[in-house]
Amino acid sequence: MAIGPMFKRSVVLKEMGITLLSIALAFAIGTIIIWIAGFSVSAVFSNLWKGAFGGKLAIGQTLAKSTPIILTSLSFLIAFRCGLFNIGAEGQMYIGAMAAAVAGAYLRLPIVLHVLVCLTAGGLAGAFWGWIPGYLKAKRGVNEFVSTMMLSYVAIGFTDYLVAPRGPLHDDKYWANQTIRIAPSAVLPRILRPTQVSMALIVALFFVLLVWYYLYRTPAGYELRSVGLSPTVADYGGIRIKRKYILALSLAGLLAGLAGSGEVLGTHLRFIGRFSPGYGWDGIAGGLIARAHPIGAIFAALLMGALRAGGMQVQRSGAAPGDIAAVLQGLVIFFIIAPTLIRTLIRRRRR
Amino acid sequence: MDILKDIFTLHLVLSTLRLATPIALIALGETFSERVGIIHVGVEGTAVLGGLVSALVAYFTGNAWLALIAAPLAGGLAGGLHAVWCIRFRANHVVSGIGINILVAGLALFITSSVWGWRGTSTYAPTLNIWYISCAALVIIIASQIFIFRTKWGLRLRVVGEKPEAADTAGINVHRTRYIYTILNGVLCGLAGAFFFNSVGRFTSGMVGGRGFIGIAAMVIGNYSPVGALGAALLFGFIDALQMRLQSFIPSQFSIMLPYLLTVLVLAFFIRRANVPAALGKHYIKQ
Repeated sequence: MAIGPMFKRSVVLKEMGITLLSIALAFAIGTIIIWIAGFSVSAVFSNLWKGAFGGKLAIGQTLAKSTPIILTSLSFLIAFRCGLFNIGAEGQMYIGAMAAAVAGAYLRLPIVLHVLVCLTAGGLAGAFWGWIPGYLKAKRGVNEFVSTMMLSYVAIGFTDYLVAPRGPLHDDKYWANQTIRIAPSAVLPRILRPTQVSMALIVALFFVLLVWYYLYRTPAGYELRSVGLSPTVADYGGIRIKRKYILALSLAGLLAGLAGSGEVLGTHLRFIGRFSPGYGWDGIAGGLIARAHPIGAIFAALLMGALRAGGMQVQRSGAAPGDIAAVLQGLVIFFIIAPTLIRTLIRRRRR
Repeated sequence: MDILKDIFTLHLVLSTLRLATPIALIALGETFSERVGIIHVGVEGTAVLGGLVSALVAYFTGNAWLALIAAPLAGGLAGGLHAVWCIRFRANHVVSGIGINILVAGLALFITSSVWGWRGTSTYAPTLNIWYISCAALVIIIASQIFIFRTKWGLRLRVVGEKPEAADTAGINVHRTRYIYTILNGVLCGLAGAFFFNSVGRFTSGMVGGRGFIGIAAMVIGNYSPVGALGAALLFGFIDALQMRLQSFIPSQFSIMLPYLLTVLVLAFFIRRANVPAALGKHYIKQ
């Protein structure tokens, strides 16, 4: 299978080797941290594995957690391919989730159409939230990593206000910060009962293929990548860079919005204030671990999802705080982003 | 008019000065590192680390002064890590900064639950009067302004960010200069973290809450000069202080998001001058 016209098989294998070595190195350092903190290394890792892959329920957890992370990873990497940093997927996801929940709860539509309308609403709302920093970057030269981050806080606060007890979308039957339930016709069905895995996973995988096709098989995607490789060359080539910036961040917002929609339509069946444990931030990690390749995003998201699911089991078992998974995640990123580090280590060994 | 009288008080002025302090420190740190060509988005995480280390040292030793010294040291260590990653391993600067943010966020949750048993918060520990830090920050900022624009070392650091090749030819060690000021950035962010800890009295994982990024925004608006950064930080401090006063008048979710929204607006409407160092974010490979 061709992974991408830009990559030869041998290069891909080498990149994958470096990625796997980085992960191994991160786990080695993680082991030392667990040991220093005075927890049982074997108990932590056995529970991490048990929670992530030990049985059908665990695998279901991993897949369910991975689903939004696949989309937020795509969100990060599509902007990254255009030379931009979308670190606001978290907020775009919240805005998308809210739009999907409103469309799901207040519209009355036939069965398949309703889901599609909700996904579209969520995607477009997220795209709008990504368009703002894109526009500001193109027209006013505003740092996108500052503006996407700031707008994330705005999105989380704003949606929280909408569902708070005196907010306009609050479900008065409960005290919790949430909207009313979406209509049954808007639900993305579960596909691996009794786990929480829903059709949202299929949607996510579909978008992996779509993003891959767009980036590597269409002229528009080629242009987007060429802006990321070298804005000056792209400019000489007649590509309108500013438009590409706006487009890339809008698409990033769209993908993050879909991640939130999937959570609402497939998992929670309503919008819950601050529902995300950080899937948007995980997407940054996922996109980096995938080396910004859409197909790689599946595996990177699986790793993030497995760490989340495993971390919960570590917490339940009492072996250590479950947040050790977050530490491992941070370490993995740290080693992955310095490819020359691993290369230097390999060269030292050979000498 | 009565509402206005309730909002605009001496208390508001004092809160502005107080809330501007960490933003100014972070903006100053970022000014130093970007002046030598190193973008550091990890200032957010570095400030969190500073707060965490302050809380740990204050909790275990009971000495608030030791905690104040430990935080900048930890920040400097994180800055050093960023420098090694950007200079030695040629990582993308923004990516490495994001890495620091994510790693510290994870560590903060893990360490707080391991030490205090609560996810993301510490217990209350001895603190200092934060006005010490605010006054020190003011002195540091004015000294930095003179240092960067009126001394030979300042000229050297600016050359390294503008034209590393020329600096190298003139016998300036580009890499060493970059290491020094990236570490200094970490030290200042660590101090900002200590400020957050001392103003709350304990560590909470959300206490920096994006102010690292607001610090970067202040650096941009301050146009790469320490005094400019201070001015922008005062503006953001004022917005933050106003937000807190407004909490009694409008829903808290609204007022909480106000500083973030206004940061974006200020960035969008601020007129750009061109002091961006030419070699910003670029790796220097010695010929």
